Amino acid sequence: MSKDRTSTLKSLADLPANVARSVFRNPLPSSDRGRAATSFTNFFLHVQPVRVSRQALRPSYTLGLGLISFFLFVILTATGVLLMFYYVPSTEQAYNRMLDLRSSVAFGVILRNMHRWAAHGMVACVFLHMCRVFFTGSYKPPREFNWVIGVCLFGLTLLSSFTGYLLPWDQLAFWAITVGTSIAGYAPFVGKVVKFILLGDATVGQEALLRFYVLHVVVLPLVLTIFVAVHFWRIRKDGGLAKAEPRSTPKPVAVHVELQEEQIPVPAMGSVAVAARRFTIQGLVRGPLIKVGMLEEDTVFSWPNLLIAELFVLMLTIAGVMLVSILFNAPLEQPVNVMHPPNPAKAPWYFLGLQEQVSYSAFWGGIGVPGIELLLLLLLPYIDRGKEGVGRWFARQRILANTIFLLFVIVNIGLIIIGTFFRGANWQFVSPF
Amino acid sequence: MGVATQKTATETQEQRIPRRRFLAWLSGVGLVGSTVIGAFSTFLFMRPRTTYGQPNRFSIGRPEEFPPGARSAIDPKRVCIVRDGNKVAAISTTCTHLGCIVGPSATGFQCPCHGSRFDVDGNVTGGPAPKPLAWFAVTLTPSGELEVDKDNEVQPGTYLSV
Repeated sequence: MSKDRTSTLKSLADLPANVARSVFRNPLPSSDRGRAATSFTNFFLHVQPVRVSRQALRPSYTLGLGLISFFLFVILTATGVLLMFYYVPSTEQAYNRMLDLRSSVAFGVILRNMHRWAAHGMVACVFLHMCRVFFTGSYKPPREFNWVIGVCLFGLTLLSSFTGYLLPWDQLAFWAITVGTSIAGYAPFVGKVVKFILLGDATVGQEALLRFYVLHVVVLPLVLTIFVAVHFWRIRKDGGLAKAEPRSTPKPVAVHVELQEEQIPVPAMGSVAVAARRFTIQGLVRGPLIKVGMLEEDTVFSWPNLLIAELFVLMLTIAGVMLVSILFNAPLEQPVNVMHPPNPAKAPWYFLGLQEQVSYSAFWGGIGVPGIELLLLLLLPYIDRGKEGVGRWFARQRILANTIFLLFVIVNIGLIIIGTFFRGANWQFVSPF
Repeated sequence: MGVATQKTATETQEQRIPRRRFLAWLSGVGLVGSTVIGAFSTFLFMRPRTTYGQPNRFSIGRPEEFPPGARSAIDPKRVCIVRDGNKVAAISTTCTHLGCIVGPSATGFQCPCHGSRFDVDGNVTGGPAPKPLAWFAVTLTPSGELEVDKDNEVQPGTYLSV
C-alpha cells in the first residue's frame, strides 16, 4: 500500500519531466550527435539540414531576403486570418468595416497596418530576393527549376497583393483595380475573357469584390503555400544554398562518429535470450548533400547556428513591420464613387511601371513587353548555361548576364518611380519637388 | 506434369502484364481526361452566364427627352446619348485606354485619368487611348422608349431615326 503510494507520488513528481521528454525527444544537445538528432527528430527543424555551410549563414551573402519574404508571408497569414473575423466582402459593408476597424475593434488599426505594410514589404523582398539569386548566379544547375518556382512565387505574390487591394472598397482600391484589370484586358485573344472572369461582370462591382476576396483569402494563399513548400524542399535536395566552388578540393574532416546502439525489447521466447542490437545510420543520402565522413571544412551544425540566425531574422522582420505599422497608417480614402475617378487614377505601386509603359502603347506596354520579360525570366536558367561564377556576388565571369539584368532592374524601378512620383493629373509629367 | 505447371505459370504472367498495363493506360487516360474536362467546366463555371450588376440592356426614356443637338452623358450607365436632328445614338463613355469614365467636352470627350481625347464621334484625337469609343445599338421599344443594348456594339455613325 505504502509502496503504491510512493510510486504514484514519484510518477506525479516526474510528470513534467516525462511529458517534456515525450514531446522533445532529445534533451538540449551537448554533443555533435545530439545536435544532429535535434534536427532529425523535431518536425519543425527536420526541414533544415543537419549541417549548413558557413557561406549560407553569412548575412552579406543572402541578406536574409528569402527568409524575410517567408516570415512576411507568415505575418500576412496571421494578421489576414484575424482581419477576416471582421470583414464582409460586400460593397454595402466593406468600407464600413474598414471604419469599424479604426473605431471599435481592439487593435484593428495596427492589424490592418501590419497586413498592408507586410504585403508591400513582401512584394519588395521577393523581388530583391530574385535579384540576389541572379547576381550571385544561384540559378545555375542543379537549381534551374527552383528559379522557375521562384518566378512563379513572385507572380503569386503580386496577384495576392493585387487581389487584396480591392477589399477596402475605397476610391484608391476601386480605380486601381479598374485600371489594373483593364491592362489585363489588352492581352490578345484571352484578355477580354480573363478580365470578364476576373471581374464576374463588365465592370468592377459586387461580383468582382467577392471573386477577389475568395482568390485573396483561399486560392492564392493555398497555391502560394504549396509553391513555398516545394521551393524549400528543393533547396534541401539541391544541396543547400548555392556556394562558391572551394579553391581546393575539400579535405575530408575527421568526424567523431558514434554508432547508435538501441536496446530493443526482446520477447522472451523459450529459454534463450537473444542479445539483439540494432544500429541505425542517420544521414546516408545520395546527391550533392553532405555525406557522413565527408564533411566539408566550412560547415557548421544547424543547431544552434542556423536556428539562431533564423530566429534573429524573424525578430527583425516582426520589429520592422511593427515599427512601420506604428508610425504610418494604411491609407483609406473616400468610399467608392463610380462616377468620379480620381485624377490621376493609379494602379498599386508595383504595377505603376506597367501603367507607365501602358501610357505609351497599350498592347506593348501592358502585355507585349511584360510577357517577353516574364518568358525570359522563366527560361533564364535554360538560356544561360555557363557554369562559372556561382555563389559569389557580381562574379567577373558573369559580367554580361549581370549587366543585362541590372539594366532590366534599373529600367523597371525607374518606370515605377516615374509612374509614382512624376505623373499627375491626366498622366501629365509633374515635378514632385 | 512439371512442364504443364511451368506453362500455366508463364500464361498467368503473360496475362497479368497486359492487364496491369491496361489498367495503367486506363487510369492515365481517365485522369488526364478528367483534368481536361474539369478545367474546361471550371472555366465555364467561372464565366458568369448572368451578371448581377447593372443590366446591359436598359431604357433611357422617351426620344423627346433628348432635344436635337443634345449630348447628354448618363454616368451611371456609362453611355452618352447623342441626338443629331432626328437621329439618336449611344456612345460609350468608358475610356478605351484603362476604363475610366470620359466626360463630354466642347470638342468631344476627354478622359480625366490619362488625358485621352476623342472627337464628337468618339474617334481618338490625342492621348494613349488605342481605340475609338464604342457605339451601342439603340432601339425604340413598343412603348415608345429608347433602349440601349451595351452587348450589341454597332459601327460608329449608326443612328436610329426617330
